[in-house]
Amino acid sequence: MRIGLEVHVQLPTRSKLFCSCSTSGDEVNSSVCPICLGFPGSRPRLNRKALEMGVSIAKFLNCDINEKVWFSRKTYFYPDLVKNFQITQYETPLGKDGFFTIGGRRIGIWRVHIEEDPGRIKRAGRSGEEVALVDYNRSGVPLVEIVTAPDLTSPEEARAFLTDLLIELRRLIGLSPNDETTVRADANISVGEERVEIKNINGLKSIEKGLKFEAKRQSKLLAAGKKISRETRRFDEERGTTLPSREKEFEEDYGYIGEPDLGTFTIGPMARAMKLPETPLARAARLEAEYGLAPTSARQIVLTSWELADMFEALARRAGSETATTWTLGAISAQWVELQERYGGRLEETIVPIIDDVRSGAITDAEARMRIAVLAGKGSEAAEPSSSEDLGPLVSRLVDSNPDVVRDFRSNPRAANFLIGQVMKETHGRYASKEISEAIRKELEKRV
Amino acid sequence: MGEGAPPGMSVMDLLAAVRDADERHRIFAERLEDPLAYEVEHAFHFSAKDNLCTSDFQARAGSRILEGYRPPFDATAVARLRQAGGLLIGKTNMDEFGFGSFSTNSATGVPRNPYDAARSCGGSSGGAAAAASMLEGHLAVGVSTGGSISCPASFCGVVGLTPTYGRVSRWGLIDYGNSLDKIGLLSASSGMIRRYLPAISGPDPLDPTSQVQPPLDMSGQIRSVAVPEEALTGLSGSMRAAFEDAVARLERMGVEVRRGAMPALRFALSAYYILATAEASTNLARYCGMRYGDIEQETDQSFNEFFSRVRSRGLGREAKRRILLGTFCRMVGFRDRYYIKALQVRELIIREYEEQFRSVDAVLTPTMPFVAPRFDEIESMSALETYQADFLTGPPNLAGLPHISIPCAYIDGLPAGMQLVAPRWEEGRLLSLAERWENGFEYRRPEGRA
Repeated sequence: MRIGLEVHVQLPTRSKLFCSCSTSGDEVNSSVCPICLGFPGSRPRLNRKALEMGVSIAKFLNCDINEKVWFSRKTYFYPDLVKNFQITQYETPLGKDGFFTIGGRRIGIWRVHIEEDPGRIKRAGRSGEEVALVDYNRSGVPLVEIVTAPDLTSPEEARAFLTDLLIELRRLIGLSPNDETTVRADANISVGEERVEIKNINGLKSIEKGLKFEAKRQSKLLAAGKKISRETRRFDEERGTTLPSREKEFEEDYGYIGEPDLGTFTIGPMARAMKLPETPLARAARLEAEYGLAPTSARQIVLTSWELADMFEALARRAGSETATTWTLGAISAQWVELQERYGGRLEETIVPIIDDVRSGAITDAEARMRIAVLAGKGSEAAEPSSSEDLGPLVSRLVDSNPDVVRDFRSNPRAANFLIGQVMKETHGRYASKEISEAIRKELEKRV
Repeated sequence: MGEGAPPGMSVMDLLAAVRDADERHRIFAERLEDPLAYEVEHAFHFSAKDNLCTSDFQARAGSRILEGYRPPFDATAVARLRQAGGLLIGKTNMDEFGFGSFSTNSATGVPRNPYDAARSCGGSSGGAAAAASMLEGHLAVGVSTGGSISCPASFCGVVGLTPTYGRVSRWGLIDYGNSLDKIGLLSASSGMIRRYLPAISGPDPLDPTSQVQPPLDMSGQIRSVAVPEEALTGLSGSMRAAFEDAVARLERMGVEVRRGAMPALRFALSAYYILATAEASTNLARYCGMRYGDIEQETDQSFNEFFSRVRSRGLGREAKRRILLGTFCRMVGFRDRYYIKALQVRELIIREYEEQFRSVDAVLTPTMPFVAPRFDEIESMSALETYQADFLTGPPNLAGLPHISIPCAYIDGLPAGMQLVAPRWEEGRLLSLAERWENGFEYRRPEGRA
């Protein structure tokens, strides 16, 4: 099975691609002007921020960056398209021939370009008297289009690709919080020879669902000895099926010509000078390589929080990766939400000293865990020792009341562990575990 | 709804429209009676071609599909002339969206030549040239895509300057071919143009293509010109003789005249029509009934059918022809052969001019191959013959170079112009030469001039 995606993601700029209207209008048709409504005599001017974001994505996806780019008019008639042409890029995408690695596999990226979004059509009214209303707030909002090679081999992999891509883009340029539902894609899928295009699917879930349905449909046709015809279909979200598109079945001809009003842009130097931040999955890969973390652990750390990964690295540098892993994936990540709420931004300086104390033997593991819990606002009661007994008397009392442990200890020294646990529970970390185990061993040996 | 009111218009709207029209007429009438009526407040009066947006008049661009369209903003050129003390007295008629050479393709009537009412003003800035010809001290803002300032300037006996592409902001200009459109000025003589070109020139953040220009240099001079032999074929006999007289006068003025060849010029017009119509066919796509054009009770149709009906009704014959031509040129399978090829020809033409400018200051040709034709002659011309009339005005427009048409002869009482083309940004040279030409060459004004 071969799947290729044309992914559209909104760029998180404050103003639109070719005018200064806000990209976030509340009221319907409130964020519009002569430019994004296509008034005669108005003309576009490029939002540099959107261009920079697009270039950074192309660079991030390992594309060859075009030295000089321009925009084109893609002409087609549709009620949501104010000029009946869309300003996009045709001959000169920002980048081409790149790749994106998921699960160790390279997925080819054919091209990356930016373009304007059309308006949004809403259907209203009773059936039979249905009307189509157009909201132009979206008209002119910047999009990046990322076109993959047909390198994806299953709907699940297509979804994994999109999930990972969004994770990286969020860090790279920042995206809207609901990006998983607003990401749009056209998907090409071929189980046999002929490919079928599913147009304009919204959201990660639907994209996977649409592809799954289509894969099954094509497999059934093939199994029945039938031919798959090359066609464009659409995804019916409610029924979860794909249907032949109502659009006429001829090869689309958008009659591309250059957009003369915008001129050309030399982006080569900008791309070369651009320093890209480390992205989450790239960081996870580095954590695996540098600190020997398991892939799932590395991913868990970076996806929980960027600051957690910072803390992991700080701990790993001081205490080695094993200790860092234990603490980061254990007590720290378990209470991460609360910790971040209370100490976000200075967690490293707050927590690293606690682990330092453990390493120097000044406090026990349990005490450290308790201190962390206190920081998280959870352990305030637990922090009060429930027993004020000294270690010596406590140990001898516990040994006395557990004669079976004394008996087992003769043949198996590890039987002491049970008592160690009991003492730690009673003392709530007031004593280092080493101290406790030594006291218990001594007490037990007295009675052997 | 009052009886007799046009459909969709309330009585109040209608009354307001009548009052507006009256007011415009009154200003105009006063102006004709008393030249000083408003010069107390305003330094000068000007008109704008109807494809320039202004908030106080409709902007129809000569098209029925824009009937009633009142833009919410002023074109930069208009705004800057107002700031310079100009009073906008009205909009001038034109071929629909600039599609024509005789101003006969207008939905709002046909302007007539001030020298002979049976003849054309030229086009597409025909109304602008007529206003410049008829009104003393008037400045007409025109627009040229492929010769739409030079042609009517020649036919109406006025000076018409088309600046370098990108010199004057196109913000507020209703597009024909965005890579070719240039806003320029027409006036009875070069003085007003020389004075107000600096006002409309200069970078404008609202039009990115205006932001790369160097400052205007008005000190340039023309000491030598090249006359390409290709420009002299296809002229009427009387035009050829008149042009040679003008050349002789230039030589007497001390301008060195070199005869040369510019073989690539003959490809210019084909390339021009391909690029201009390709761009026009996309520019006009927006006029589809969503916001522009008459809508009847037809909203129950599919949008494709609805768009087709509104466009069929609202666009004129020549507009439809150019949409079809332009759409054809950009179709898959034809795009490389036409659109892409035309882009290459444009580069070729630019290089050929650069070659000339290495040894001369300007290129000189007649403006049009004939004087203003009669309307009955125009009617018998095919579309192709009409297009070919632009063979001298097309090349500098395709190359985006500044050019000027200056009245240089009167043939049987009808004016004829010569055209000078200068290197990019050298508008100053052209106006200096016009000033020198006017020193000793007497322009004849049409009868009934105000």
